[in-house]
Amino acid sequence: MHPAPSIILFTILSGFGFGVIAWVGFLQYFSLISSLEVIAFSILGGFLAVIGLISSTFHLANKINAIKSFSQWRSSWLSREAVASIVSLLLVFINLIIVYFGKNTVPLIGIIASLFSIVTVFTTSMIYAQLRSVPSWNTLLTPFIFILAALVGAAILLRPDYALYGLAVLLVIQFLFWLYRDQTEKNMKTNISTALGFTEESSIRSFDKAHTNQNYLLNEMVYKIGRKHSRRLRYLSVLFSIFIPVSIMLLVRFDTYVVGAIVSVIHLLGMYFSRWLFFAEARHAVSFYYDRS
Amino acid sequence: MTNLPKCENKKLGLLIDLDICVGCHACVVSCKEWNSSGDTKQLSDINAHQKEPIGTFLNHVHSFEKENKENNESEPFYFPKSCLHCEDAPCVTVCPTGASYKRPEDGIVLVNEEDCMGCGLCAWACPYGARELDLLSGVMKKCTLCVDRIDNHDLPEEDRVPACVKSCPTGARSFGDFNDPNSKVSKIAKEREGVDLMPEMKTKPVNKYLLPRIKSNFDKEFNEEENSDLNVSGFLSWVDKALDKL
Repeated sequence: MHPAPSIILFTILSGFGFGVIAWVGFLQYFSLISSLEVIAFSILGGFLAVIGLISSTFHLANKINAIKSFSQWRSSWLSREAVASIVSLLLVFINLIIVYFGKNTVPLIGIIASLFSIVTVFTTSMIYAQLRSVPSWNTLLTPFIFILAALVGAAILLRPDYALYGLAVLLVIQFLFWLYRDQTEKNMKTNISTALGFTEESSIRSFDKAHTNQNYLLNEMVYKIGRKHSRRLRYLSVLFSIFIPVSIMLLVRFDTYVVGAIVSVIHLLGMYFSRWLFFAEARHAVSFYYDRS
Repeated sequence: MTNLPKCENKKLGLLIDLDICVGCHACVVSCKEWNSSGDTKQLSDINAHQKEPIGTFLNHVHSFEKENKENNESEPFYFPKSCLHCEDAPCVTVCPTGASYKRPEDGIVLVNEEDCMGCGLCAWACPYGARELDLLSGVMKKCTLCVDRIDNHDLPEEDRVPACVKSCPTGARSFGDFNDPNSKVSKIAKEREGVDLMPEMKTKPVNKYLLPRIKSNFDKEFNEEENSDLNVSGFLSWVDKALDKL
């Protein structure tokens, strides 16, 4: 699949932003952070989530109708995501006002915002996980890794002591996801024979594509560069998203948020590689109509 | 609403015979012509007469060759592909704006261009590549089974079929109601065992394909005969031997 930078940035930034919101609500509920911190991180989380959402509109070819995407929440995960993200941001805003005016006695709104932000990341992941046409995404591992990445990334900033364990789990899940992807690709139920309706597997070769040049289908769904550099990018991804952050955490004491912020940025860079691969390596069923083998 | 309706009255679709199709692309051309001249935004071309042209099409003809295991020869066939108007259409349910819908009265999958925001998720959801985002108009394009022909009572009855069906010079494409067991398409699909594309995707396509028949071994027998000794007797046998000695 085409790894559009706007989509990758959207999933990473909004994921991280909603992860921060989730942690703030949780820590606030158990009185583990000050009001000032609640305000500062709510603004940061909300800001990143909004940047991510704005970035996601860059790939829309007809932006004027974007407002209509709130309407189909009964069937569409993309619509549910739009609704859930607005609800989360509204809750964060209300919580912010309450905390600002010093009425932090019942931090219920914060914890509800926290739950809703996890729901939002879940809806984002389901946009991809629901697609039967892309078998390597069509797994529960997809929502799992999206939610985990959001929570772990934000934990680096807010609770580095938890983040260390989180990163270890993320490493395992990341490798499981790649293993799943490779296995699905190897044992795909779809092949050129089923794509053409033959019941038994036959030796079929495409000798002429349906068009003489690139087209939308090829640009969008038959992306091949991802597979070429797959190994190297996987190593780079875990190096930046997991090993460098863990090394810094073990070597440096996190007494200010500055260190956390720097490590978060390094982690997000690694996540960019991971998310790039998530798209670029995913094989869409339509690619079989273009196979020459 | 992008929930899928139950289509109990009619299931309109195409029956495509790969045994007859000669890959002439007439269906592709007539489709583009008709769907660029109606009420909808046109199917655009960019750099049409320059390097790297790119354009939107609702119908494609791919060319394949299949190995015949008995004589190791390859048998070419042509494969026109357009929207299959699936009963369980994943492209409809993923649509966030409500632009995509399946007509309850006949099951045709359509896009309301007034509502489409061009996110492209429906094109991702379709395993067949039946939807294309038009790069100039910014809205999603797909086969409509030429609703503006089949619904148009100003046209003579014989013209109320999709443009691709009307233009096919070999009659490889038929249009009809697959819900009616007595319709022409249902009868032929049953008799010749029409198949679904990618049944594992569980989309339940309405369009059916008739696969190319396995060719007889005539070619092989013909070639063998040409190179072997002639099976003749009497005077012809004498001629055969005399010619060999020359």
